[in-house]
Amino acid sequence: MAYPPPPGMGMMPMGGPHPMAAAGHHHQGVGSLGIPHKFQRKPKLTLRDMRDDYCEFELKNTDTSVANALRRTMIGEVPTIAIDLVDVEVNTSVLNDEFIAHRMGLIPLKSDFAVKMQTVYEAASGSNENNENYSAQSPTELTFKLHKRCESSQTAGIDVTSNDIEWDQAADGLDPNEVDVKPTTLAKLDESGNPEKGILIVKLRPGQEVKLTCIARKGIGKDHAKWSPVATAVFTFVPDIRIDQALMDTLTEDQRRAWIASCPTQVFELDPTTRRVIVKDPEAYTYDGECIKKAAEMGVPGLVEITPRSDDFVFRVETTGALPPATVVVWALETIEEKLKGTQEDIKKLIM
Amino acid sequence: MPEEKADVVGDASDDSMATFALLDETHTLGNAVRFLLNGNNNVDFCGYSVPHPSDHVVHVRVQTTGEISAKQALIDAGNQLVDVCDALESSFDVALAQAPPPTST
Repeated sequence: MAYPPPPGMGMMPMGGPHPMAAAGHHHQGVGSLGIPHKFQRKPKLTLRDMRDDYCEFELKNTDTSVANALRRTMIGEVPTIAIDLVDVEVNTSVLNDEFIAHRMGLIPLKSDFAVKMQTVYEAASGSNENNENYSAQSPTELTFKLHKRCESSQTAGIDVTSNDIEWDQAADGLDPNEVDVKPTTLAKLDESGNPEKGILIVKLRPGQEVKLTCIARKGIGKDHAKWSPVATAVFTFVPDIRIDQALMDTLTEDQRRAWIASCPTQVFELDPTTRRVIVKDPEAYTYDGECIKKAAEMGVPGLVEITPRSDDFVFRVETTGALPPATVVVWALETIEEKLKGTQEDIKKLIM
Repeated sequence: MPEEKADVVGDASDDSMATFALLDETHTLGNAVRFLLNGNNNVDFCGYSVPHPSDHVVHVRVQTTGEISAKQALIDAGNQLVDVCDALESSFDVALAQAPPPTST
């Protein structure tokens, strides 16, 4: 069964071709005050899995638009730090300058320090005057150096990786205890917390050399995907699956088995005692519609009705390593609040 | 001084209806605000649009029953969304505190 994606929910972070999305009330649960669950102010959040680079949580009693705001903000508006400008002093490698500059930009940098930095726009507009996190000294830039040469004795050639990038403390004049910005990967870390194997930037043959000065800046994914803290940030609708048991009773056990097998994922199973078809795992359903098609083929259309619940979502967030997943979620929520506070002030000032 | 982030588009003589322009905003805020406005019983109609993908602006049309002004309805919706974010943040914090420490993959 196909269902229309809500506005602003294309594959692209900034997608959303809906010209005028007016209201479509389809109330599901109704709460104690007679207010539909999703209009209540207290959505429910349950954490299911939390790892260094991945988290999964369920969001209930809210609407697609709110879930989508969270998803879009995580992708496009949570700030991180990434290399934005590369000064090439020497490059005798096989890759051209801009090719290397692009690769440098895509390397995730540990970005918790982003709260203490300012974007170039913020610094220029002075919009952070009243923000406690910032001061006149808040840096807009961090300098990194990379210098690697393959000596003629290294006949096998060498790899230049993200581990060769070093922060130039002297250039920035910042407290090294405070600045914890360094290239990161999701690879295994050694005992000093550095990735054992960095991200490959370029390979050098004997006699080749790269020498770069890189300026890293704070930014958001909306400006360039290199600043997006997430590799994937998606939510799925938990399906509401209803089997017509009266109709199911008209089928033989072999037919039931065949119908269960028609679903590519293990959504249904045969109850070992009652021999009835039951829903084993609704979340395994991928909205492929195979079981509905199969039911129609078997001459029992309407055997199952599956609708996406529009107030129950499962989020899966996988980070690039720039920020821990919990930070991404919390900063996304804070970003939405900040945006709102900004617009609220100006709406109140409107003379009407 | 930072630029103003909100404006009124078109006729604003009747305060029960207005089209607001939220500058530098996207579907992210537009759709969520639209949803919350539709939850308000005093709102007759609400819709949002991004008039042109190259212009960084969202238009939110609000028509109320007359009990409250369109501006007030929009402010209420914004406050509600802040409440939703606050609630999510605190329940996420609670869930985090209860969860076992993160494991490496």
